[in-house]
Amino acid sequence: MKALLFERSLPKFAAARVASGWRSGSGARVGPLRLADVEEPELPDSTWHRVRPQLSGICGSDLATIDGRSSRYFEPLVSFPFIPGHEVVGRLDDDARVVLEPVLRCAARGIDPPCPSCAEGRTNLCRNVAFGHLKPGLQTGFCEPTGGGWGGALVAHESQLHRVPDAMSDRAAVMVEPAACALHGALLGAGRSCVGHETAVIIGAGTLGLCTAAAVSRRRPDIETLVVVAKHQEQRRLARELADCTVVEPAELARAVRRRTGSLMLDSGQLTGGASLVFDCVGSSQSLQSALSVVEPGGTIVMLGMPGEVKVDLTGLWQREVTVTGAYAYGVERLGPDETAGARRTFDLSFELVADAGLERLVSALYPLDRYREAIEHAADAGHRGATKVAFDLRRRGPRRSSKEIPA
Amino acid sequence: MSIRSTVARATFPWSAPTWPGGIERPPAKRTLGVDYETAWARRYGARLARVVVTETMTRPLAHLLAAPKVDGLDRLEQLDEPVIFAANHASHIDTPLLLSVLPDRWRHRTVVAAGADYFFDRRWKAAFFAFVINAIPIERRRVDRKSAGHAASLLNDGWSLLIFPEGGRTPDGWGQGHQPGAAWLAVRTNRTVVPIYVEGTRRVLPRHGSRVHLATTRVSFGSPIRPDPGSDARDLAVRIEKTLEVLADEQQSDWWTARRRAAAGRTPALTGPVGAKWRRSWALTSGNRTGRGATKTTDPPWPRL
Amino acid sequence: MPRPGFVLEVDRSTPATLCWHGEGFRLLKLPEGSRILYPPEPVAALKDPDEAIRHALLHPAGDTAPLPALLKPGMKLTIAFDDISLPLPPMERPDNRQRVIEAVLDMAAEAGVDDVVLICALALHRRMTPAELRHALGDRIYDAFAPHGLLKQHDAENPAELVHLGLTDHGEDVEISRRAAESDLLVYVNINLVAMDGGHKSVATGLASYKSLRHHHNVRTMQHSRSFMDQTRSELHSSNWRMGRLIAASGVKIFQIETTLNTDTFPPAFGFLQKREWEWGAKDRASYLAVSKSLDRTPDRLARTIFQSIKAPHKMASVQAGEVEAVHALTTEHVYRQQLVEVDGQSDVVIFGLPYICPYNVNSIMNPILVMCLGLGYFFNLYRGKPLVRPGGVVILSHPTPWAFNTIHHPSYIDFFEEVLADTTDPIEIEKTYEERFATDDWYRHLYRTSYAYHGVHPFYMWYWGAHAMDHAGGVIIVGGDAKAVRRMGFKRASTMRDALEMAEDVVGRDPSITHFHCPPMMIADVH
Repeated sequence: MKALLFERSLPKFAAARVASGWRSGSGARVGPLRLADVEEPELPDSTWHRVRPQLSGICGSDLATIDGRSSRYFEPLVSFPFIPGHEVVGRLDDDARVVLEPVLRCAARGIDPPCPSCAEGRTNLCRNVAFGHLKPGLQTGFCEPTGGGWGGALVAHESQLHRVPDAMSDRAAVMVEPAACALHGALLGAGRSCVGHETAVIIGAGTLGLCTAAAVSRRRPDIETLVVVAKHQEQRRLARELADCTVVEPAELARAVRRRTGSLMLDSGQLTGGASLVFDCVGSSQSLQSALSVVEPGGTIVMLGMPGEVKVDLTGLWQREVTVTGAYAYGVERLGPDETAGARRTFDLSFELVADAGLERLVSALYPLDRYREAIEHAADAGHRGATKVAFDLRRRGPRRSSKEIPA
Repeated sequence: MSIRSTVARATFPWSAPTWPGGIERPPAKRTLGVDYETAWARRYGARLARVVVTETMTRPLAHLLAAPKVDGLDRLEQLDEPVIFAANHASHIDTPLLLSVLPDRWRHRTVVAAGADYFFDRRWKAAFFAFVINAIPIERRRVDRKSAGHAASLLNDGWSLLIFPEGGRTPDGWGQGHQPGAAWLAVRTNRTVVPIYVEGTRRVLPRHGSRVHLATTRVSFGSPIRPDPGSDARDLAVRIEKTLEVLADEQQSDWWTARRRAAAGRTPALTGPVGAKWRRSWALTSGNRTGRGATKTTDPPWPRL
Repeated sequence: MPRPGFVLEVDRSTPATLCWHGEGFRLLKLPEGSRILYPPEPVAALKDPDEAIRHALLHPAGDTAPLPALLKPGMKLTIAFDDISLPLPPMERPDNRQRVIEAVLDMAAEAGVDDVVLICALALHRRMTPAELRHALGDRIYDAFAPHGLLKQHDAENPAELVHLGLTDHGEDVEISRRAAESDLLVYVNINLVAMDGGHKSVATGLASYKSLRHHHNVRTMQHSRSFMDQTRSELHSSNWRMGRLIAASGVKIFQIETTLNTDTFPPAFGFLQKREWEWGAKDRASYLAVSKSLDRTPDRLARTIFQSIKAPHKMASVQAGEVEAVHALTTEHVYRQQLVEVDGQSDVVIFGLPYICPYNVNSIMNPILVMCLGLGYFFNLYRGKPLVRPGGVVILSHPTPWAFNTIHHPSYIDFFEEVLADTTDPIEIEKTYEERFATDDWYRHLYRTSYAYHGVHPFYMWYWGAHAMDHAGGVIIVGGDAKAVRRMGFKRASTMRDALEMAEDVVGRDPSITHFHCPPMMIADVH
């Protein structure tokens, strides 16, 4: 089968890092990613299924990996050579459509009893992602024996599969995984605070930022005012469509938050009050720094975007007792004290969110696998080019493809 | 191991010892303010160096900035040193200016009484002023036994003394009442007091001013005042103050007018009119509408972005 | 004998006419038959202004004693004066304020008045910097008062420094500076650059608080001031006059001193700016070419600094002192004598070339809101009788209108532009939805009181200032403006004057009548 293979090659890795310094996404041309003909992965046992990806998204963490910019922290958590791709909607051998929940936790690794995190259902925090009968790999798409979404087939444990309702299109279904990430971040602390009249800020309006905006405006009634920072025109339009929010340009953020929270501003641009919650959906030094300057004392910054190594002045964090918390992947969510139904799986909520908010509109372009360089460059430059989510289209032939889903 | 960590890890005896807890510490020795020891600045080497500094830097600079016009030097001809020079005080430029217009026989044999709280509060400042202007520390607002005694002994040793009886620079341009120190020293050592009236140094560098402007100044030396035997320091202080007023009047008008006004008791006081602060300032500048021209100011008209 | 202003009809031999364009100007060839309004030439200056001031103080107008008779030892005297917004451009030293206040202080010192305070009557404007105060008042006054804390700037946000004097018969709050209200005598020193300035507006506006100002600085008043350069038809002035009479009735004794200027606006190097084009000599043409060509190559920031450093040579043309209304009647006569130009009938299209300066950007940046205010607020309202443009006609402004703000002077303007105008440009809607929040914002309040910022509500007033024009005109086109900024304000942008005139035809029909308002120097169109 054809697949994009990511190999361990230090010279290529270095070349990608240098090239991406000039233009992001150019790691695809010189880096360790190549289109190859490989064996289909084998099913480890009867609890595993073969999945043939239909659409497979390109995620920010994929781009960082291809450009050689991801942290070395991941090195022991992946196994080379792997096939990337973890935002997958695919078909099983019986033709049923499924969305993949890519985290390779205890259940998939055959570890029983499961680790305490998995036992609680917080599978994103699984402590065994490098152990068990599988080779190391945080998720499908970073793990050698499972294959990944950017190839003709992958294998997935039955605990990783979610059936797609018939009414949902492939384009919508491929948004379920990124929307679940956003939901998980958006719902952090939802149970704790029920004060109301809160102001939240979302920095960044890429896929993650827009999904977070959609999730916050639908699932966080305690947040009264939502400010979304969007750099590009198309992002601003989408943010307004998806959420009841104020959209501002990056340079306007501090002033906009100041007005809405009635706080004062120091000469440095630091607010004296600010937003109670800031979702950083970028994960750069600048985004974290601006998050710190607009968060209120005692407030919380949720880091949804993958940060890597950042350089930030944390004096404000210390002096204002700010909480910075990560939000990785998904597991189960507690929806606040009023919803006594208790915990629900993030993916179940995400299916609802995608359908309700119409997130399929965020899929801007589809590429066949052999045009992967263009696809990756498009994804890396999505904001400028008015795009949000770029995905690979691995569907074959006519009959299964619905007429409106034409590759871009 | 880096140099920094080597230094950081150095322990006694490589670093200073710490004091054991149970042992009482002797009181710290005060070596600043009036307690600053200036004897080194009057040793031969320091004096020689100061002559060079005064002649090559202080004097040219003072003449450049303040362009003094000097009169009344003839009144000093019959005097024998040492004497006490008592001047009014408006600016930091006063001291270097006066030192540079003093006749040669006094210029390098004069110590300057400088406020112990201002000029001697840091070691480097104390050393600098003691060296450059031959300053000695003195209490401004009262006669301090130690500093006054020291000044008196210097007078007896043949050093002349330059002192500003007002005790500090004028805050608003008008003179201030005199402190008794100068008169006390004159009575104690039985030395002559030479009053000096300096005009215009406030234009060069006023108190709280941050920039130096070029301007012309006038320095008038008055008739020497010799304390009568057995006279009281307070009477002498009043005499000094009065003489300065007449001297100022003489500088503003002419000698004869000043004399006549002095005789009639109508000499204008240097301390200005009594009343609201704005009226004192207003009176100081009346008849002087120089402000109407465009004075060059370097203040930016609005804050730089 | 200075020549009066007049209306020129453009014919084949009319040379191109000068049109201001921010920090620069252009020569404009207008269609045949267009009209150009030229301002009157500067009237003669007073020969000895100091003597004239003394004479005015000793022979006051109206029912009041000469100033020396009002000054007693032990009294409380307050002298208030106009702020940086007057005159435009700032005048060469000595400023009128300096001459007048020096004369007043000489009399106060002679009378032995100890308790004297000077207050800069800046209402909700920014505070003046020390250098600006020194320029306006002179070194002598500044050095005598500022170091003792006796030179104050009005603070409309300090409740302790304000006093509420009551309500007018129209229910308007009158709240002014406590020091001014509680003085035995309040001397107000004016520079009356245009007919709007002075009279009861001096104290009732200059020393008032937001609570008081909002009764006349609002959309309704501005739409009913036709125009505010004509007190008899200005709701703005009626309200101020009611307040002024209440202030007088509350026992505040005001001695008003008003001075007018002639319109000698630019220094000799820029003499061509106030000459009629057909009278430009070789020197004028050479300096026009040199100046305009080099300005094309000058960075914005530098051009701004150069223009802001211009000090106008205008001279005192009259001075009158005494009781407010009597004084102001005389002053208005003088202003009209200098500035009125008779015009027959309105036009379909009016062109205003906007200069680099307006009352609110002295030593600062003319941001888009101020461009609007200068064009539609001030220039549009420089009329008596009827507006120069017919109802439904088109106003063409010429200004680069950059998206640029001075962050120190105009912080609330940035927010107004980013938030309010992004939502709506309708003055009534803006007043209803946003004014309160901006006016009571602690941050703007803090900057107004301690920094050099205009009050939070000030950009709203700028927008209301243009409310009458927006209501009256059928369209507004800004020639050469920044596309995004012009769009944000709800106007149209044209690259050239030719395009603008064609766009105007869409609104007013083919072959419209066109009038170009050749200003500055300042004038008022007396439209019959």
